[in-house]
Amino acid sequence: MGTTDNYALKTESFSIGSFLRQFVKTKGSVVIFIILWILASLFVQNFFSLNNMLLIIKQAAIPMIACLGITVVLMTGGIDLSLGYTLGLCSISVGIFVKSMGLPIWISIFLTLCIGLLVGLFNGILVQYVKVPAFITTLGSGYIIFGLAQIISSGSDINRLPAAFRAIGVTEFAGLNTTVFIAFGICLIMYYLLHLSTFGRALSAFGYNNKTARMSGIRTERINVLAYMISSFLVAIAAILLTIRVNCAQPTMGGGIYTFEVITGAIIGGASLFGGVGTVIGSVFGILIVKVIENCINLMNVSYYTYQAFQGIVILLAIIFENVKNRKL
Amino acid sequence: MSKTILEMRNITKFIFDSFGHAVRGSNVRILDSVDFDVKEAEVHVLIGENGAGKSTLMKVLGGIIPQDGGIMKLDGAEVCFSGPRESLHHGIGFIHQELNLCLNLDVAENIYLGRELGGKLFTNKTEMYSRASTMLARLGFDIDPHTLVSELSTAQQQIVEIVKVLSYDCRIIIMDEPTASLTSNEIDKLFQIIKDLQKQGISIIYISHRFEELKEIGDRITVLRDGKYVGTVPIEEFEYDKIINMMVGRKLGAMFQSQHTPLEETILEISGMKIATHTDPIDLSVKKGEVVGLSGLVGAGRTELAKSIFGSRTYYGGKIIYDGKEIGHQHPAELISKGLVYLSEDRKLEGLVLEMSIASNITLASLPRMYPTTKIQRQRERKVASESVNSLNIVSNSLNQLCNTLSGGNQQKVVLAKWLLTKPKLLILDEPTRGIDVNAKGEIYKIIDRLASEGVGILMISSELPEIIGMSDRIYVMRNGTISAHLTDRKDFIQEKILSYTLG
Repeated sequence: MGTTDNYALKTESFSIGSFLRQFVKTKGSVVIFIILWILASLFVQNFFSLNNMLLIIKQAAIPMIACLGITVVLMTGGIDLSLGYTLGLCSISVGIFVKSMGLPIWISIFLTLCIGLLVGLFNGILVQYVKVPAFITTLGSGYIIFGLAQIISSGSDINRLPAAFRAIGVTEFAGLNTTVFIAFGICLIMYYLLHLSTFGRALSAFGYNNKTARMSGIRTERINVLAYMISSFLVAIAAILLTIRVNCAQPTMGGGIYTFEVITGAIIGGASLFGGVGTVIGSVFGILIVKVIENCINLMNVSYYTYQAFQGIVILLAIIFENVKNRKL
Repeated sequence: MSKTILEMRNITKFIFDSFGHAVRGSNVRILDSVDFDVKEAEVHVLIGENGAGKSTLMKVLGGIIPQDGGIMKLDGAEVCFSGPRESLHHGIGFIHQELNLCLNLDVAENIYLGRELGGKLFTNKTEMYSRASTMLARLGFDIDPHTLVSELSTAQQQIVEIVKVLSYDCRIIIMDEPTASLTSNEIDKLFQIIKDLQKQGISIIYISHRFEELKEIGDRITVLRDGKYVGTVPIEEFEYDKIINMMVGRKLGAMFQSQHTPLEETILEISGMKIATHTDPIDLSVKKGEVVGLSGLVGAGRTELAKSIFGSRTYYGGKIIYDGKEIGHQHPAELISKGLVYLSEDRKLEGLVLEMSIASNITLASLPRMYPTTKIQRQRERKVASESVNSLNIVSNSLNQLCNTLSGGNQQKVVLAKWLLTKPKLLILDEPTRGIDVNAKGEIYKIIDRLASEGVGILMISSELPEIIGMSDRIYVMRNGTISAHLTDRKDFIQEKILSYTLG
């Protein structure tokens, strides 16, 4: 035992320099967020106020849930391009359940979450067992899901949802609504799952090296399918909360743009498109960065198209930064 | 003797990351004032343990990484390479241990990659293929230049690499363990090529771990140890013990230990299993506490047999009985939990997650057993990992060190540590000492012996006959996908005899 302790002491020397370097390396998005926040506070009118800050957090809460989902998929080395369409399908589904069919709220929610899980199972099975690249699988399944959402809704939205159902997401506490608290709770659960549990370790090993992971006794097949299920499950939660927020169930909710925004957040947060890497803190701040930029663009009265172009630039910069970081730091 | 064409003086290199940049705040020297020279038309052998700095020195010479100190002179003129291409244009060709060929291109396209014959717009294919086939024929190889490289065997791919380097009119060719994946036939051929090249005035720098080879083709031997230059000996003064001494810096005792005695109980029994539809059935057994050697050529089906047992490959018919129960095509996870584990021959692809830490790798196969509640306990992980690191003598900076920064021997020990932590009852080892230095080899033999005395059954696949002979209680020889001999008497454990069964 003595030697063990010495070993640990000898190797864990601590210095502020190495701590900062480690921090920038692992929590790059936190650093970018702080810099962005300071810059926006200085140069963008009306940015620096408590109300605006709360607004950004409220706006970020729902995509944050989806972003944590996609982070899990990115960690496997895959991608889920059907994310935005799943959002639409789940939105119209919950609308139909809770209003058109008049089912009890909790049953409506339960069924919607099941739809999310089924979509994930479908994607996961295709990727794992049919060996279709995730990119193609989810592009294809995305269009199926989109079509399905249109069919079951006959292309129309469902407005004015029951107040009791809406209360789940819009009840306010301390200036924030329940949606924010739900998102926070999901962050905690995902933090445990990705960083403190054997699942996260296995997921990471699978993303880095599928063969080694399998031969080390990790049920890689299961993990791969599960990753897509977790992602779609979280998207279903996001869909319910978004439907409540806009008070309207729409089959066209989400879409490709939403997928892109969520993936941007995860990539800025340091998740790697090559698998293995992904953190909850990174993705949370990644989506906050996206939302701060969106907020600034709104405040500066720039058109939404400029924002989209800007988002593209940001995702490229994030990837360049990722490469530079790996080489230099 | 002939004139010196290359001189390297006081080459120093600090520890660097995967991009060749020095690691900040560290002054660990991988190369410490190393001297090295090459004469015209000689085969200069470079040996040393893993991590001794051989590869690093050659990377400096090949222009892959810059040196931090010292000078290089080519024909008396000081040179400095900014990249592999520049080194190549100075006539220095590098054949890496891990081959760098594009598998989706054919042989000629690989040889002329990046400098295709012809004008700017169109390549002159006819010329390219005819030149390539001339070169291949001149070396006595019957390979069609239209063949896709992915369809060639590793040995043939190596030949393509050699031809590629030769087509650059190189004067110095660096070969980093060229025989690691060759069969003995192919090795003979390679040596013939080396001798031909020598006659043409080309110098070879030859890195290898196999002593028998050195005596056969080397002119001089330079030994490196811990990044330092130890000495250079002409081949006439070659003595096994002396070189070992220079390499490890101390006398090496008996490398092979055998203090275990096999028990009566059988742990693994294979009957009538076929590894492919057209091969003959295999019968094989391993007792508890027994070391069973599995010899044979690369491609004889040894790895396929091991992977069939370990559920990573389908097999055809037959039964595998492990610990009294028949096991079918089971997932490795189930087999590991039952105590059957397999150490793969390819530690980088199938043994380690290189991007993860030592501690994570060691505990990777024991996650369900160590943390039944699924919550990872860091303290427990550190304790368990550091015990492994200490008991297997893994040299590292910290438990958090990533495995891609470890030397081959230490990487192998990490994989071994991972499997030992699962408390195996049957351990299948596939080339456990490949690409590992003498010191680490000895340690691994000790571990194998210790496990056997604890009652663990061991099936050891190896291409090195001294290792098979020194360690095994029984030996199976494989050829053409099936068992060609089963040696139970120690008197039969003779290199020539085993070889004869290997070659048929």
